[in-house]
Amino acid sequence: MAHSARAGWAFAAPGLTMLAIVMGLPVLYALAMALSSMTLLRPALHITGVGNFLQIMSEPLFWSSLGLTLRYALGAVVGEFLVGLAIALMLRQVVALRGLYFAVLTLPMAMAPVAVALIWRMLLQPNLGIVNQTLTSLGLPAVDWLGDPHLALKTMIFIDIWQQTSFVVLLLSAGLASLPREPYEAAEVDGAGPLQQFWYITLPLLRPVAMIAVVIQLINEFRTYDLVYILTRGGPGVSTELLSYFAYQRAFKGLALNEGSAAAFILLLIVLLITVVFFFLLERRKS
Amino acid sequence: MKKMITALTLGAAASLWGGAALADGVTLHALMEDVPETAIIEKMLPEFEKQTGIKVEFEKVGYGDMHDKLVPQLVSGKSYYNLLEVDFLWAGEFPAAGWLEDLKPYAKKSGFDTSVFIPSTMKLLGDTDASMPLIPMYNYSMGLIYRTDLLQDPKLKATYKKETGQELAVPKTLADYVKVAKFMKAEGKVAGAAMQGQKGDPNAMEFSNYLFSAGGAYLDGKNKVVLNSDAGKTALTLYKDAITHAAQTGALSATLDDTMRLMCSGKAFSMVTYWWMLPQIDNAKSCPSVAGKVALSVMPGGHGESGGWGWGIPKNIPQDEKDAAWKFITWVQSKDVAVARAMEGHAPVRADVYEDPAVLKKYPFYKQAMKVVESGKSFPIFTYSAQYEDTLGTQLSLAASGEKPVPDALSAAADGLTGLMNK
Repeated sequence: MAHSARAGWAFAAPGLTMLAIVMGLPVLYALAMALSSMTLLRPALHITGVGNFLQIMSEPLFWSSLGLTLRYALGAVVGEFLVGLAIALMLRQVVALRGLYFAVLTLPMAMAPVAVALIWRMLLQPNLGIVNQTLTSLGLPAVDWLGDPHLALKTMIFIDIWQQTSFVVLLLSAGLASLPREPYEAAEVDGAGPLQQFWYITLPLLRPVAMIAVVIQLINEFRTYDLVYILTRGGPGVSTELLSYFAYQRAFKGLALNEGSAAAFILLLIVLLITVVFFFLLERRKS
Repeated sequence: MKKMITALTLGAAASLWGGAALADGVTLHALMEDVPETAIIEKMLPEFEKQTGIKVEFEKVGYGDMHDKLVPQLVSGKSYYNLLEVDFLWAGEFPAAGWLEDLKPYAKKSGFDTSVFIPSTMKLLGDTDASMPLIPMYNYSMGLIYRTDLLQDPKLKATYKKETGQELAVPKTLADYVKVAKFMKAEGKVAGAAMQGQKGDPNAMEFSNYLFSAGGAYLDGKNKVVLNSDAGKTALTLYKDAITHAAQTGALSATLDDTMRLMCSGKAFSMVTYWWMLPQIDNAKSCPSVAGKVALSVMPGGHGESGGWGWGIPKNIPQDEKDAAWKFITWVQSKDVAVARAMEGHAPVRADVYEDPAVLKKYPFYKQAMKVVESGKSFPIFTYSAQYEDTLGTQLSLAASGEKPVPDALSAAADGLTGLMNK
């Protein structure tokens, strides 16, 4: 090994060691629990194999939770991206009070998801909440936002978009600000209109930043737990029971730490897979 | 160098000694459900602190958060909560997991008389000849709270008579109750029933009342699952009918708090709820719209859900904290304090408090409450009761929302109970 490489490893060693301790060990312990017979009633760690994975994967509720998680994550990320891109493009044109707009836009992002869920739970309260009060005062019927199994997941996606879009706006605004002027000047000389400029210049140049925004948000959405816990507890029925909530319920209500860890590990593998695929696509694009 | 090491050693020893001295002033931390009962005890805490020097701090949260907050503490090296408020639904799980001190030796050592508690309240919390994991704190049996003004409204009475041929009165059967509740929604411009249909504890507890009222049961005398019976089908069919046609909008996601607010605002005719909610609703200050217009009855059909809370002491805390917790339990459940609590609306677990003349004079409805308590039946208590609430709650929610036919949901709920009991 070259001297410079050895020096590099030496400098990185403290950081890597810390990372291994605070990240690697808990993940390995979770994997060990997932492969063991450990429950809250019998907390000893005896490795028994992949039985817990097979057990939860044999349950329809697991697949229903996984399907709902995919729908939720895709719905939220697509919504956040489209709304975030629209806002970022509009903000690009704004000169006056730009700082104020950004400050207001980042407020939801600064709030804890639990607080956001509690606020929306009150706003959407079917009988006394301000949203339904407004609808009924306009002569419209009250809507059962969180109690209708066909609407509850969509309502949660909307609340997620409300909170998380500002993060996408910030990332895309930074990406837009870094785009070079020259392609636009050349396009104007060639007579390209605003839509053509957006489609053929802005979008392709913005793609790396956009992909990073999408992958970060996808990871966030897969981990969503707070909104489910505060808003619906997975109901009505199982219409909002996401995989993270399934894992928690299994571990702490069902007292089965092993099965809960197995579900959480599957969630981790999905998130890892998505991350790897996105970064592979990003690298391929670069090369 | 030697002097420095000696000085450091002495300093460390002094600080440890100081730490031990500080531990004399124990502070008890209890995770409490945010209900009137907790507020009543909280007001009396300064008196306990004055008498014993032990400080007590209550952390108040909604019921749904309690189990999830307690379990991580009980499995940790040392629990932050050193005084436990334990629901009867966890009275199978917590002792089975070995998280609770056996309180029998504590009672014996201090001469605390447990025979004053109503036997069913002790049994509900897992008391046996061999051990006593919990001391009863208060009971929560459920009954029907309804609006008397709407039942006596001449217009509504006439319309009901015209439509059904019957008198509008306090319902005697579950089917009658659902019929009256649906009528109130259609004609009374209020929700016929303020229902807590969120899956889990809310709808599992609410449905239990329907089940017992219809003559059904979860288990028979030999602990065999008998939920999937004709009475069970009747109960779930009527439950679905009520939540679809008599309840408020959003009942499928509503909790106890939501139903309480609705009833308090005068926008509901009735609610199946804990009997001690009556003084909170019949209160001109907190619920002016309905004060003086509400009454309590045993669930139509004769039986409602019975439940109770107990005090416990976790195993994973130091002995001085255990002793302090026991001192608090014996104080708060003593006759004098229990009577003082009852004067503020406490739901007693001591028989002598129900018979206390001062209590009966202030709250004549305690006679009715006693009937609710006496006629109550229990949710199945075993190691996985908390998980079963979710299993049952999911099936109820699926049936009530029309996602699953009633027979299928009931069958799945019964199979779920059998599976967990055999686990």
